[in-house]
Amino acid sequence: MADKEPGDVASAPASNNPLSRKLSKILETRLDNDKDMLEALKALSSFFVENNLRSRRNLRSDIEKRSLAINEDFLTAFQVVKEQLDDVYSDVQAMNECCLDMTNRLKAAKAKTHHLISQTTSLHNESQKLQVKEQVAQAFLDKFQLKPDEIKSLRGTRDGALQPDFFKALSRVKQIHSDCKFLLRTNHQTAGLEIMESMALHQESAYERLYRWAQNQCRLVTQDTPDVSPLLCQAMEALQDRPVLLKYSLDEFGKARRSSVVRGFIDALTRGGPGGTPRPIELHSHDPLRYVGDMLAWLHQASASEKEYLQSLLKSCTAANVQLDEQLGHITQGVCTPFKVRVEQVLVSEQDPVTLYRLDNLLKFYHHTIGQIVNTEAALLSTVAEIQDLSHRMFFNSLTSHANKLLDKVELPPSDLGPTDSLTQSLQLLRDVLACHDASVVPIDDKKQDYKQILSCVIDPLLQMCSMSASRLTTVDMAAYMVNCIHLMNSTLALYEFTDTRLEMLNAQTEAHVDTLVSEQASYILNRVGLAQMYGALQTYKTEQGPLSSLPGLDELAVKSAVNKFDSYLAQPDSLTLPQFHLILSSSVRESATKRSTELICQAYKQVYIAVLDPTHGYKDGPAVVPRTPEQVVHLLC
Amino acid sequence: MAAGPYNYSYIFKYIIIGDMGVGKSCLLHQFTEKKFMADCPHTIGVEFGTRIIEVASQKIKLQIWDTAGQERFRAVTRSYYRGAAGALMVYDITRRSTYNHLSSWLTDARNLTNPNTVIFLIGNKCDLDAQRDVTYEEAKQFAEENGLMFLECSAKTGENVEDAFLDTAKKIYQNIQDGSLDLNAAESGVQHKPATPRITMNAGVQPPNKEGCAC
Repeated sequence: MADKEPGDVASAPASNNPLSRKLSKILETRLDNDKDMLEALKALSSFFVENNLRSRRNLRSDIEKRSLAINEDFLTAFQVVKEQLDDVYSDVQAMNECCLDMTNRLKAAKAKTHHLISQTTSLHNESQKLQVKEQVAQAFLDKFQLKPDEIKSLRGTRDGALQPDFFKALSRVKQIHSDCKFLLRTNHQTAGLEIMESMALHQESAYERLYRWAQNQCRLVTQDTPDVSPLLCQAMEALQDRPVLLKYSLDEFGKARRSSVVRGFIDALTRGGPGGTPRPIELHSHDPLRYVGDMLAWLHQASASEKEYLQSLLKSCTAANVQLDEQLGHITQGVCTPFKVRVEQVLVSEQDPVTLYRLDNLLKFYHHTIGQIVNTEAALLSTVAEIQDLSHRMFFNSLTSHANKLLDKVELPPSDLGPTDSLTQSLQLLRDVLACHDASVVPIDDKKQDYKQILSCVIDPLLQMCSMSASRLTTVDMAAYMVNCIHLMNSTLALYEFTDTRLEMLNAQTEAHVDTLVSEQASYILNRVGLAQMYGALQTYKTEQGPLSSLPGLDELAVKSAVNKFDSYLAQPDSLTLPQFHLILSSSVRESATKRSTELICQAYKQVYIAVLDPTHGYKDGPAVVPRTPEQVVHLLC
Repeated sequence: MAAGPYNYSYIFKYIIIGDMGVGKSCLLHQFTEKKFMADCPHTIGVEFGTRIIEVASQKIKLQIWDTAGQERFRAVTRSYYRGAAGALMVYDITRRSTYNHLSSWLTDARNLTNPNTVIFLIGNKCDLDAQRDVTYEEAKQFAEENGLMFLECSAKTGENVEDAFLDTAKKIYQNIQDGSLDLNAAESGVQHKPATPRITMNAGVQPPNKEGCAC
């Protein structure tokens, strides 16, 4: 349109004229910057190829035609889009319907299943409750019922063999039985009673089985060394609840062991070791000490071993000591008779008191030793005690018979008044017997008692024998002989313990005999010198008899001659010693006797001396009659 | 018949001999109690102790008879040699006289035990080396000449005590394995606890005597 009015631009004022304004606007237009315009021009150039009038005239319609064509194209294109959108819409519509339908259905389903769900929940709860109940029931069963394998092990196999499980099952039964007591305290009494009853039945049958088995096992322990299996120990432990059954089983054990010990003892006596070493005990039967000692040692060792077996059998049993001792007594009882018979034979045929005493001590020792193993009621111990008693009696019998023999044929004392052969022999025997004690181990009290008895058994008859043999001798001879015999006994006994009272008694007897000797010696001397009459008169003198010199035989002359003789005795004191004094064996006794007799003489002289010098006795020349003072006499004699 | 494990398979009987005061009882006490007994009283006659040991994974129970050394008990103690599988002959290394008496102890041991008895010579009190009166070499030679096993021990410190008892047991066990020790013979000093059924055990043993048959 711009090129439609080009003539108008010059004729109209520039500012007010619309044409000029239009023109200026056109002129001001900067085509470079107007993209739309550029696009439009570009598009125009594509079909406006020929710039001629016709085409300029037709331009508008061409453009409109083109525009129309383009719009038509656009329309058809949108037509497709629209159709497609319509399709989508219908699809979505369908989907929506579907969804709605589903929602409705779900709602319906939900409504329908609601009941089911609540039912399920309740069932579920119920099931949980039941589960808890089941657990409780299971726990109860675990606690109060036996498992099948436990019942099986309780019932055992047909051959009666016992498995270690048995004891577990048995202790379970016991546990359940005692647990039932708790059950009874609650309100489940019926269950408690029923379970208790069934457990009691189980228990009874199990104990019976156990007892049968244990009894059988115990019967089999007859070999040298019994095999005390742990199972058997367990059985004993379990049987403790049934003391009677335990006792019967132990009785079986004891019986088996008893015969085994007897067999072992007889074997040791008669067969000995392999190839004969060690030799059988009976081979030494000629040597009583060895024979009896070997037997006793064997018994000691056997009872120690048997005690060990019993201990290992009863190791798990509490307070089974009484039964143990009882059984040990029973086991060792079997050997008593064979042992006793043999030892009795030895004792009866043995004559020698020394051997008998040794045997006695040996038996005493073993009585003590074996007594530490078996208890006091055991037959073995009482057998040993019995035999020991027998040996004791046999020993004293033999001592007594020895003493009786001494008294039966009393020897005459030898001329030297020394001890007789039978006395020295008897004392040697006594020494031998007392020496046995060194080799023995009996308690000191027993020893003292024994010594006392032995001494009275030997010394008393010996003293009696000496007195009898001395009975026909003169007083002096007898005194000297007795002093000698007693001295010998004394020196024998002095070496041993517990002889003090005996020694005292013997010393007193010696004393008495020494007194006799002393007085005999003194009177002998006084008689020989002629002073006896004077001395005798002095002892009985009373004043109404008048002066001594007037008595017959005591005149001055007679006294003087006697004193003269005494004087010559003083010169040679030994000349008037009795020969028996020299025969006294003990130098100390001899010396003391001599001394005492001398003192007696001195005293006698002193009395005579005083009497003679006393003017009332009428000895005119006193000092001439008794020239020596008593002091001088003492000096000379002592 | 039970076939369970036994507490021990064998019982070995030992005897301990030697002069008075050489420490026999102390050795036994050290071995059984693992303690030293000071002021040990004189043994009266015989005493005994036990202990279970293990040799070649066999449990063995030792029954040990401890004898009195005093001469006055000789008559009693002699009876206990019978049936000993092992004899421990003890002297005191600080007292020559106890060593000098060994030959008489050995004679007793040889005469009164069976030929297979293992004799073990023990020189006790080796803790008192300063007061030693018998040299190790001398005793060793004596042991070799007489075919004895030998060790010096101390019951006080416990040195070698276990070894002496165990070595003896090993030797006895070896003798059994060699077959030189007849288990079935009575008084071998070894008692076997059967791990095998009883029938085989009884094969070599005479039928039981009836009680009192030999009375």
